[in-house]
Amino acid sequence: MSGQSTRRPGELAFICLLTLFSAAALWQAYGISGFSGLSQPGVFPMLAAATMLASCLFILASTLRTRSSREPGESVVFWRDVLPVRLLVILAMVALYLYAMPWLGFVIASGLFLFASFAYLWRKNALISLALSAGSLAAVYFLFRIVFEVVLPQGKLLPAGVF
Amino acid sequence: MLEAFSNFGISWLDPWLLLLTASGTLAGIYVGAIPGLSVTMATSILISFTFKWPVNDALALIAGVFMGGVYGGSRTAILLNIPGAPSAIATAIDGYPMARRGEAGEAIGLTTVMSVFGGFIGIAALAMFAPVISSFALMFNSRDYLLLGLIGILLVGTLSGESFAKGAFAGALGVLIGMVGLDPMTAEGRFTFGSISLMGGIPYIAAMIGFFGVAEALVQLQTLDVPAIKQKIDRVIPRLSDIKRYFWLAVRASGIGTIIGALPGTGGDIAALLAYDDARRSVKEPEVPFGEGAKEGLVAPEAANNAAVGGAFIPMLTLGIPGDAVTAVIIGALFIHGLKPGPLMLVETPHLFWFTVGNLALANIFLLIFGLTGTRLFTKIVECPKAILIPLIIVLSAVGTYAIENNPVHIYWMLLFGVLGYFLKTYGFQVGPIILGVILGPMMDSNYRRAMIGARGDIGEFFWNFVSHPISLILSIAFVLMIVSQTPLWPWLRKSIRKQN
Repeated sequence: MSGQSTRRPGELAFICLLTLFSAAALWQAYGISGFSGLSQPGVFPMLAAATMLASCLFILASTLRTRSSREPGESVVFWRDVLPVRLLVILAMVALYLYAMPWLGFVIASGLFLFASFAYLWRKNALISLALSAGSLAAVYFLFRIVFEVVLPQGKLLPAGVF
Repeated sequence: MLEAFSNFGISWLDPWLLLLTASGTLAGIYVGAIPGLSVTMATSILISFTFKWPVNDALALIAGVFMGGVYGGSRTAILLNIPGAPSAIATAIDGYPMARRGEAGEAIGLTTVMSVFGGFIGIAALAMFAPVISSFALMFNSRDYLLLGLIGILLVGTLSGESFAKGAFAGALGVLIGMVGLDPMTAEGRFTFGSISLMGGIPYIAAMIGFFGVAEALVQLQTLDVPAIKQKIDRVIPRLSDIKRYFWLAVRASGIGTIIGALPGTGGDIAALLAYDDARRSVKEPEVPFGEGAKEGLVAPEAANNAAVGGAFIPMLTLGIPGDAVTAVIIGALFIHGLKPGPLMLVETPHLFWFTVGNLALANIFLLIFGLTGTRLFTKIVECPKAILIPLIIVLSAVGTYAIENNPVHIYWMLLFGVLGYFLKTYGFQVGPIILGVILGPMMDSNYRRAMIGARGDIGEFFWNFVSHPISLILSIAFVLMIVSQTPLWPWLRKSIRKQN
């Protein structure tokens, strides 16, 4: 049923993780109400988790049947195509941005994130990146704070009412 | 009748709603057109901003974005050979060769007119058939809703994914995510691990934005360096002779689009591909061969995918079953506004139904206006580098997730689902069934338990009820056929039947 003949780098490990997760979910679902009745709150979660586990085992079996890419080595391709440095850097920036938002507030955190990511991904002059992040931040702030009246995080480290 | 008509005209006469529908449609065209932004992504972010608005305002904006977005995908399919939305995949096959011949303007014009035409047919079908289906759906039992939910999730999983198993996994994962929190019937905790924040459940807006916004932005990083191709656009207004010539093809494609759109689980993408296939089979002598810039290859999918919009609203409003990922998100919006899509919606809030029909029709008119104007500015905007677009998507996703309950925990959920979605997409899983599962899971759970309680906990009687009532029997057969068609048993069965013949 799976049409691919070669395995993507890291696919087998990912499917194994999903299988383990499904098995753990089934165990947890069983813990809700066990087999005490067919209309108990745990039955449907058990059915869902069992479907996940069965599908995962099936996917695992068909993934095992595929060939892994030999050239230039699976781990090399994995770090080049699936988890390249660029993605890791952006993920770190996003995590930092989301963590900093409640502390620094939406405006400062987003401004810093936009500037850093534009500078990293676009690689143009720093002044252009700065102007672009200021412009897009102003547009987002105007549209969502002023027009849509969305409450944005103020920032615990900032005095109240700054933004 | 008069009341229905006055509700139909609400958004046509109110300047504010008129403005919202117009801006929604315009925004939808750009969102649909810019590769990397999807209508589902935009709708899920939009819902988080509009949930405090009056329901009419929110629906007006969302209807515009949906209508515009389905059409917008065709623009980049024609100009850059990159379908801006899955529903425009078929459009690229003949649209891009036309653009390469220097006929991009003509292709866009014809696409616009045919999309609007298809859109009106879909809306007419919605207005005519939804009340009938709704009164029929009142006869549905809880087990029928369970089956409809299962069929919907499986259809989305099987039609768009790499394999049936991956679709089934994604749907079941969604159901599991939807189960987290206190059980609505017994208030017993499910997967809460003693955490108070998990007792309220996982916020599905965070899941939606994570899977459709953040995950998509991360996937787009892989194609960051692909340069945009520039196109020149000349004549946009299509020739009257072309419209006359392709009229009946558009009627047929719109019919296909409406029916496919109305089936739970199938949306504009499948409708467009089927209509394209139908055109290729039925048009014997096209001016230019299919695949090399045939106008028929543009007319059919574009009329069909916009007709599917009206079609998709039929099961959504009458049965509470979304047609595809976008309608699943819109159902989420209706729930947030305290409305319960389903057979009772037309009985309890008929004004809302006619308002939606009127609104879609209005959005379709704006589509014609915006579709035939501003194409020069448009080409400039779609050339926006992904290096700028990706950080902006992440900021918008964060604002959208935070806006719902002003809870920073939700944005961590969003990031988690974003990363998970990235890996799932990379390894050939679809995220659409997950969202359907999250939204339909609690509905399916309560209907399963009602059906089981109705059978007094007797498993034999429970299954007997699925085959002893006509509606349940038809749905059960459809469900079983769907599963069998995905197993090796199906080709074997077909082979042996053919042998006997």
